[in-house]
Amino acid sequence: MLKSFVLSQFLFFLMIPVVYGLETDAQVFVNASVKLDDMTKIQARRIFSMRQTSWPDHSLITVYVMESSHQTHKVFSTQLLGLFPYQLDRIWNKLVYSGLGEEPIKVKNEQEMLDKISNTPGAIGYLLNNLQIDNANVKIVFVTEG
Amino acid sequence: MDQLIIRLSILLVACFVTVLSDAREVKINGFIAQGVTQADGSNFVEDDGGISFKLTEVGVNSTYRLNSTFRFAGQAVYLDGGNRYQQGARVDYLFLESQLYDSEQWSIKAQLGRNKNYHWLYSATRDVPHTRPSVILPQSLYFDAFRDVALGVDGLALVTQGNNSLGEWDINFSLGTSPISSEQKNNLLGRSAKGKLKHDNDKQFSVYWRPSLSNIQIGVALLDAEFSYKQGDNDTLVNGNENSQRFMFNILYQQPNYEIAIELMRERIIVDSILFPNFHSDIFGEGGYVQGQYFLSRDLTLLARIDIYDRDRENRSGRLINSMSQGTIPNYFGFMDQGTLGLTWSLSEKMQLQAEYHRAKGAARLAPTFTPDTVLNDNKYWTVWAVQVMYWF
Repeated sequence: MLKSFVLSQFLFFLMIPVVYGLETDAQVFVNASVKLDDMTKIQARRIFSMRQTSWPDHSLITVYVMESSHQTHKVFSTQLLGLFPYQLDRIWNKLVYSGLGEEPIKVKNEQEMLDKISNTPGAIGYLLNNLQIDNANVKIVFVTEG
Repeated sequence: MDQLIIRLSILLVACFVTVLSDAREVKINGFIAQGVTQADGSNFVEDDGGISFKLTEVGVNSTYRLNSTFRFAGQAVYLDGGNRYQQGARVDYLFLESQLYDSEQWSIKAQLGRNKNYHWLYSATRDVPHTRPSVILPQSLYFDAFRDVALGVDGLALVTQGNNSLGEWDINFSLGTSPISSEQKNNLLGRSAKGKLKHDNDKQFSVYWRPSLSNIQIGVALLDAEFSYKQGDNDTLVNGNENSQRFMFNILYQQPNYEIAIELMRERIIVDSILFPNFHSDIFGEGGYVQGQYFLSRDLTLLARIDIYDRDRENRSGRLINSMSQGTIPNYFGFMDQGTLGLTWSLSEKMQLQAEYHRAKGAARLAPTFTPDTVLNDNKYWTVWAVQVMYWF
């Protein structure tokens, strides 16, 4: 009893820094071909850490990200995924340099991100909330805490 | 078996080159690193303990997906680390991967060919400079003289990744053998060994768990490796066998401004003959390190680490080695403890500099391990420093 209490308190302490509300400054966007309107934070983590590589209909996921130093990437990574940018860098480095998998495709800025998502079936990426998106080929996927 | 592996590698290279030539978009990644280092008071880098530029690491890799089930991946490297490991070019990994199972929650992949060691905290990319916390990894676990054997295996690896209500899981299994070069044999057995050392069997298993949405990772790894030695002409050593068994436990805790890594191991080494007929040894070594990294700014990371290793947990002072060798091998070959301070300076998005200083006590992880070199390693205390510039793409 005491052991489980101590363990639960310990795990709670560890989780404090990563529990964020749903009010974020970034949103996940996908190509309109993706049949999904929302996903959990856990699923978003799986996709952006390249652990899930296909959509439920078995089509391939193409992941677009910005450089780690880009402000939009920092906001997305910490607020939406609950991961620090250096954690994602390490995950992707391990994939690339040990042969375990492939890293996401890097884009330079928001406009390129929007163009790539728009033109690539199965694509996923992110953009800041304050951008006005008027593109029928992309749609928002809401990330829930779940 | 060796012939089969060579043929399989050639076949994989041929397939790889063929598909690359047809590929519309091939991703090439790599790294180049050059440094300067000195191990003063030991033969860790150079026999004379002098300043050395033998700190070169170059690699290039590529991957090509045939379809949603099959993928090729390969990396070639050129390494020069002085006495730490064999100098030269080699195939780091080259395998055909098959996706055995894929769902939203779990995926299982099989890799056939030369695979990397995915089991330890830094083993998968220990030769990739910008992925390491320091130029020289903690020698208790990442023992350089044993590097080629610990790097991966020619055989099969099963990689499982998944999620459930408890969190995120990585479960890995590998089975195979590694080729042992003459230089690697010398690092382990000494230059007087004229025979052939063979890696007969290697089984590894590891499980990593990250509690859901937390910043902590906990891992355990098991290793069972068997080696045999066949006596050569005019050889002082004799036919025999060696069995290494390791249990490893690690924790990684990450925060915005710092990271703490702890990796511990217990290693059982059983030796039958090899040194002389009917020789038998069965000892448990123990070691591990605690490492802290502090991200002072976006560009500057500081590192501090304590690394401890005892060759025999029943004889941590090394007194037994000294008495069994009738005083010819000093006590300090029974342990090796190391304190490290280092920094990583990010020069640009794809370029960084690492500098570090190590103070070591003991010589248990200095090559050769079976027959210690008491002439070159005649200091209980010795130091290493290293500065390396690295670029990756």
